[in-house]
Amino acid sequence: MNPAEELKQKLPAAVVSTGMQLNKPMAVIKKEELLNAAKKVKEMGFDHLSVITGTDYNDHFEVVYNFFSYEKKQNLVLKVITDHDNPEVDSLTSLWKGADWLERETYDLVGIKFTGHPNLIRILLPDGWVGHPLRKDYDMNTEQFVTMGEGGEDVVSTDGGNLLRRK
Amino acid sequence: MDPVTIDTTKIKTVKKKPVTALEKLEDTGLISTVLAAREREGLILFSTVDQIFNWARLSSLWPVTSGLACCAIEMMAVAMAHHDIARFGMEIFRASPRQADLMFVAGTVTKRMAPRVKQLYEMMPEPKWVIAVGSCASTGGPYHESYAVLKGVDLIIPVDVYIPGCPPRPEAWLYGVIQLREKIKNEGYGAKWGLNK
Repeated sequence: MNPAEELKQKLPAAVVSTGMQLNKPMAVIKKEELLNAAKKVKEMGFDHLSVITGTDYNDHFEVVYNFFSYEKKQNLVLKVITDHDNPEVDSLTSLWKGADWLERETYDLVGIKFTGHPNLIRILLPDGWVGHPLRKDYDMNTEQFVTMGEGGEDVVSTDGGNLLRRK
Repeated sequence: MDPVTIDTTKIKTVKKKPVTALEKLEDTGLISTVLAAREREGLILFSTVDQIFNWARLSSLWPVTSGLACCAIEMMAVAMAHHDIARFGMEIFRASPRQADLMFVAGTVTKRMAPRVKQLYEMMPEPKWVIAVGSCASTGGPYHESYAVLKGVDLIIPVDVYIPGCPPRPEAWLYGVIQLREKIKNEGYGAKWGLNK
């Protein structure tokens, strides 16, 4: 039995459906039951949370968690579907320390809010950047520039006047 | 069987080997007015200050140590023994922009890195030159459509030589360096008066 089916047997209320994604067992989890399911996943021996990604499907977001078990050499993928207006899921930082930066990256580029995260700020783009670039509705026509403030901090603006040689 | 005899008078020497300091200087092709001095048996050397300066500048270009992406790996290959950038007197990659007069922009200039690159350029003393290496530094390259990458470093600082490639091979890199040397040779009043020929 693959770990996704095993998870469905243990928590039938949390798992919506199971399947395969790129030869990895995949389970779609209800948004409210994510923390419970994650606890169970950790008990099953998945000690490594390798990647968190977010995907924009125009009408909803998918948050994808990739787990790996060093002991059993198994993969497991969890998916959570959120609504498009206010994408918000529970943070997994209490279970895997590595979720900290992965969730910050997903927040930075896709704009998914992780409730319970200790320090949910942008990780790659500077503070003050407008929009989340991996969303489908991101405005690619207005170019944003970064300049340095007096203390060396990043200042985001759209004109880039003191950076470019000519406008 | 007759021994083969070689008539040494028929052999032409291709080039006379320079012996005196003046002849060596002439051999570099940098100082053109040596001829005038020759007539005075090497006692006087006519030139312009610009030509002497240009010769000194292009003979010891010191690059600033900065690499932004994978092109910097090629920069290391250029600096190592096989391609040996020391032949051009530029093996000293200075760790401070204050002591450098050449900047290789080797790699992708991201929006967040752009003000730092500009500040690095402004910290270098005059005269200074910039070589944009690779398609990223020249135009943005494969990231031209990206929200986070500057579309060419020439948007923020003036560039003297562009080296295409992704990343350019060390041979291309050396060719770009030679082009910059040609450019420096042709700067100033000496070139204006046709003395660099």
